[in-house]
Amino acid sequence: MASTFKTLLNDDVVSTRTLLHEAIPITGTIMSGTYSTNNIKTFTHGMFESTFDYPYLSSSANQLVDISYGHHHSISSSLGAAGYQVQKKRDIYQQFAQVLLGYDQDNNIMAFDSDGTLDGGASTANGKGGRMDQCFFLSYSRLLVKDEIKKGSYTLSIKPFGSLNAADSEKPSVTTEVVLGDYAAGSEYFTSPAGDYGLIFETDAEKSDPENSIGLIFYQAGVVVLSSSIFHDPTGFGIDNAGVTVGALTFGYSGSEGNAVNWGDGSATGEGTAVNADGVLHAQASGSIENMVQGLRNRWVDCNFNNTIELNSTIYFARINHNEFNYSANPTYVSSGKLVVKNNVTDLPVTYLTSVGLYSPDNELLAVAKLSEPIRKDPNTELTLRVRLDY
Amino acid sequence: MAFLDNSGDIILDAVLTDTGRLRLAQGDGSFKITKFALGDDEINYGLYNKDHASGSAYYDLEILQTPVLEAFTNNTSNLKSRLLSISRTNILYMPTLKLNKRTGDGGATGEGDKNSFTYFRDDATANISATSAPSKFIVACDQDTFDIFSKNTADALPPRGVIQGYHPGDGLSVEGGAVRVDQGLATNAISPTAGLDSDLVETQYIMELDYRLGRVSQHKLADVTDVNFIDDDNIASYYIAGGSYVRNNTQTSSSLDVVAKDPQAFEGPRGTTLFFRLRASTELQYSTYLFTQIGKTLSPGTLTQTVYGLADARFTAGQKLYSIDSTIRVTGANTGFRIDVPVRYVKIQ
Repeated sequence: MASTFKTLLNDDVVSTRTLLHEAIPITGTIMSGTYSTNNIKTFTHGMFESTFDYPYLSSSANQLVDISYGHHHSISSSLGAAGYQVQKKRDIYQQFAQVLLGYDQDNNIMAFDSDGTLDGGASTANGKGGRMDQCFFLSYSRLLVKDEIKKGSYTLSIKPFGSLNAADSEKPSVTTEVVLGDYAAGSEYFTSPAGDYGLIFETDAEKSDPENSIGLIFYQAGVVVLSSSIFHDPTGFGIDNAGVTVGALTFGYSGSEGNAVNWGDGSATGEGTAVNADGVLHAQASGSIENMVQGLRNRWVDCNFNNTIELNSTIYFARINHNEFNYSANPTYVSSGKLVVKNNVTDLPVTYLTSVGLYSPDNELLAVAKLSEPIRKDPNTELTLRVRLDY
Repeated sequence: MAFLDNSGDIILDAVLTDTGRLRLAQGDGSFKITKFALGDDEINYGLYNKDHASGSAYYDLEILQTPVLEAFTNNTSNLKSRLLSISRTNILYMPTLKLNKRTGDGGATGEGDKNSFTYFRDDATANISATSAPSKFIVACDQDTFDIFSKNTADALPPRGVIQGYHPGDGLSVEGGAVRVDQGLATNAISPTAGLDSDLVETQYIMELDYRLGRVSQHKLADVTDVNFIDDDNIASYYIAGGSYVRNNTQTSSSLDVVAKDPQAFEGPRGTTLFFRLRASTELQYSTYLFTQIGKTLSPGTLTQTVYGLADARFTAGQKLYSIDSTIRVTGANTGFRIDVPVRYVKIQ
């Protein structure tokens, strides 16, 4: 009896799991520059900004990263009426902490700890190693992160000091950059309700001591939490062009509130308490969340990481024996009833296969695989085709 | 749909079909892969040059250079021609399927009246040879339409073999035409008396059609046959075997016409014949919605004889003729050979 199907046996089907990685670059010109602010979506609530890879009004734009800023509730209390968006900054901090860290034994929301111990301890003199009270939150799109950020692959280059120029699209003129990264993740990382997390260091050399950490990276959630101290800690970061250690003098621009003041300008007055030469302190107190985000975006030089895709596959081995699939139902296979590939009965039949169909018991085509070129099949050959379906 | 890159190693580009995704989404265990088939849709075996002067290594040179398209996700667009497993290697002639377009009056097997085998206007008979008309089976969606088409045979170019695409009514017998597909060897080099090898005789057929438009029924019965399954594109599949659907073709005359009551499509050995009739869907019978969405509407004045074989006088004022063209795919379940049967659902209102 002629047949066009062959049954798959148990040994012909196997399931596998593979991890795939893609390199993801997010350049500084995307964050501020190439599209001016046309690829930066802001919202009336002013609680975060979304960055797209193309002007966001275009249907081909893809969301890259949402950036926000928040502070611990103890900061809210201390700022009082002097601060701007105090409540919203606290809410942002609490929301991320709630989702990424969870609660302590008294059901209080835990605070971000830059050394990863979650003990709520005080930070060291240079602002490192303890509780992070004022933080930037970088939530990368699932389109980029996929299943998780590959551990040890994350770097973020920024220009932590120097004043911004007058336009949102320009970077500080200083040349010194700091390359933040999860340098220790290859050997050490932690777990949380939101999955694994690692520590962010300023340099590879600092990874030996968790106290040097200035942020956290949550790999599966695709969220990076950075302490704002990276912009005002003179002992923590490099030296400016003049050889002076200094934090960012001016930080961010006016946001949705329409104020023309350069938020965080150390020389500006009347906007909360400005600390000379520590512009970010001014901005985080009396600037909006958008001011803070703009400041970070304009200092963003480059970001690179590898994502991870967990690929669950089922492999079907289509084993084709020598006496199978040597004839074809192709209409061109027969001319006047006779096989076009044979002259007489003793010639061997031959076929050329280009596709493999996988069928259900009721003969419904569920999956199809195409070969990149025709393969000859005749009674002298046997083949095994490996068809992989990914889920 | 792009071509696959064939400049390097051989790769396999695998995708789930739309039906596969549908079954996966249903989560009821219906996504279960149990067997495979091989296809050669892109191959034109006419390029196989077994007389190439440079020798056998060059016979299939052109075929092996055929570029292959990426996989389609539409389940009915893939593997239209499949490879066959037949254990012996000495087959020189293979049977195919052919639409039996010849008229007859039922013959010894009693398949019905003389219209049973009629293929609309593709016959050599002089008075139905209008060339502008498409060669399609006409399915009348209601009684009025059937009457106008089938009972005005006095017209110069009367339509023939119109299929009664509705239930004739309790106690009434089915009238009109049917479709017949024959299996056999398209050659006169072998006498029909030689018969077809048993492993090449098709015993089961798969019929696929648009379920929004029609149903399948036996050619002399009013009731429709149960459908096996309907895919995500509303394509219904029927598995047809035995009964009055599939019969062994016992005619052994070498002439196509010698048995006037059972004209043949093949001059060589014959396998089985498939008879079926179509019933228009309820929506086509009682509504013109689908006709206006995916069909065509003709007004009086355009209903010329060269189009439908009916004089305008056959229509009353204001009547319109609605039509939808479609195809019924018939595939041999064992041999994989297939044929597309063109049909036209019509309704006059």
